[in-house]
Amino acid sequence: MQSQMKESDPILEVENLFASTNNLPILKGVSLTVYPGEIHAIMGRNGCGKSTLSKIIAGHPSYNITNGDIKYSGENINSLEPEERSQSGIFLGFQYPIEIPGVSNLEFLRVSTNARRKFLNKEELDTFDFEELVKEKLELVKMDQAFLSRSVNQGFSGGEKKRNEILQMALLEPKIAILDETDSGLDIDALRIVASGIKKISNTQTGIILITHYQRLLDEIEPNYVHVMADGQIIKTGGSDLALELEKKGYEWTDHFVKET
Amino acid sequence: MEIIEKIKTNKLLEYQTEIQKICLHKLQSNPLPNPKSELWRLSNKTKFSNFLDYSFNEKDLKFDSPYPNNSQSTIRLIIGENCQIEFVEENYSIEQLSEDEVDKYIKEQISSFDQNENWSDLLNLSLSCKKNILGLKVNGSKIPPIEIFSHASSNSLNAKTLVIFLEKNCDVELIQVNLGKENSSLSQSTFFFLEENSSLNHGVVSYGENGSNLLNSLNVIQQKNSEYNLGSLHFKFNYARFEINIKQSQGNAKTNIKGMQITKKDEQISTYTKIDFNGPNGFLDQINKSLADDKSHAIFEGSIIVPKIAQKTDASQLSRNLLLSDLAQIDTKPQLEIIADDVKCKHGATISQLNEEELFYMRTRGVTLAEASKLQLSSYFQEIISFIPVSKDKWDLLDKLLNEN
Repeated sequence: MQSQMKESDPILEVENLFASTNNLPILKGVSLTVYPGEIHAIMGRNGCGKSTLSKIIAGHPSYNITNGDIKYSGENINSLEPEERSQSGIFLGFQYPIEIPGVSNLEFLRVSTNARRKFLNKEELDTFDFEELVKEKLELVKMDQAFLSRSVNQGFSGGEKKRNEILQMALLEPKIAILDETDSGLDIDALRIVASGIKKISNTQTGIILITHYQRLLDEIEPNYVHVMADGQIIKTGGSDLALELEKKGYEWTDHFVKET
Repeated sequence: MEIIEKIKTNKLLEYQTEIQKICLHKLQSNPLPNPKSELWRLSNKTKFSNFLDYSFNEKDLKFDSPYPNNSQSTIRLIIGENCQIEFVEENYSIEQLSEDEVDKYIKEQISSFDQNENWSDLLNLSLSCKKNILGLKVNGSKIPPIEIFSHASSNSLNAKTLVIFLEKNCDVELIQVNLGKENSSLSQSTFFFLEENSSLNHGVVSYGENGSNLLNSLNVIQQKNSEYNLGSLHFKFNYARFEINIKQSQGNAKTNIKGMQITKKDEQISTYTKIDFNGPNGFLDQINKSLADDKSHAIFEGSIIVPKIAQKTDASQLSRNLLLSDLAQIDTKPQLEIIADDVKCKHGATISQLNEEELFYMRTRGVTLAEASKLQLSSYFQEIISFIPVSKDKWDLLDKLLNEN
């Protein structure tokens, strides 16, 4: 199956990436390649650089790439603005989705969706057509329509915020989605809803990077590759059995890999 | 400042009404406010002089309203243009106050005026001729929303005065619009008297053009069980001061204020509020927001006075400020003067910049930085705009102007 996937070009190539914020090095040579249809899981202790990697791929202005490249569909995107990356199909699902009081969720989703549709040369949707589309996507994450009239993420529970992230992913139809600890703060039912939503959205043309601490998300969505990060580097890559081993042995087990690198 | 010279030498007006005489007399020996006093120390001297530089004009050009005419659903009045006003319907009446009634009320007010503290009103009442004083008595309920316009003509200083009595049990929605034309100064003084059980939802929207100046003074007296709600917005003025004086004369009244000022370029806009609780069980909830960009300066100073008689007062005053540029300046000073010992009073101030994480979140959803900033600002405006008692979508121009910011 994996060789079949690799007949096409990679969606994302992170090549020997070094990055810092406020002159503090965070990433110290990360390399990662994602092909269409692949699901990658990145695991690691808190502070190892997982979230930073996701933010840098999405274009966070607070981080500087000091060395290395990020290529998306073969093009270097190091200097692209976050909105340009999103419009072209890179999606970041936030660990802590931001609340934006006073901005209606429906309008925000419509503006975002239209920005992506414009890039894809699709017709932009007016409020009426968009409501039809969003109703259909709400089903995927079992969200009530009432969420649309509220301000973006304001007053949402942790689980509702994460479902709203997956709703956005469904509307934006990204080519690559990086989901940063989408499973954190979810109960078992919510985790299943979110996981089922992700599976329905992903297809043979999409790549997914799941950043997680726990096996339980990977029980629902089986990854093709599992990467372990420590101190700003990927120190070990394996199949889904690597996550099971990590679950059993804990991160201490990976300490000797750090020494090797 | 020719006008100040004329006040000093009593050569400002050939014919003076009694009120003008009293006010001019109060100003004559000391025609300018004390620049070192708390109320005036932050006022930009050059801009303040510019306010007084225009020659005083009793007559102004015919008002050309940029707003859609909502005469079907609202009562529109223009200070200086309406001669006879009388709306008498089954549920309500709006009648013009007689000259004697206006004179009597204003004289009562002036008697306690301080040259420095009430300088803006003293100047206004020195200049306002009879034609530019609109006095109304409102009674009843189910009253259509009232719109009252004031404006200044280009290259002149105009003074307009509004006096409104709300009779017992009266319930009114009123929006006041102050428009500054290019290179002009407008002095607007407003006096409201809310009788027992009356309620006023008041909106003040003031905006100018290049080189507009505004001195806007609002004086409210609330009798017991009255409710006064104010939503205000000031923007696009070279120099503007909004002075709010509210007195709950017997306590047991409610006041809610949500105000906002937006400054850009090198503009200076300030809001000074004084809320005086003169009886027990008074309530105040106030929030003032400022947004300062470029090299502009926004000021808020608020004082809440709670004397011994005002036990069980519940008052809150917050000042929230957004700085959009390194060169912009914000001064804010919410303060409490409490003598009563059984009260619940709080105040606070914050100054922040646009939230970087919110902006990044929106950008990762394809929204451009400019659009994301606009969305964030509109969310900042929202709380205030929604409090102004006029449906926002009715006001196309207001929408447009907000979008410019």
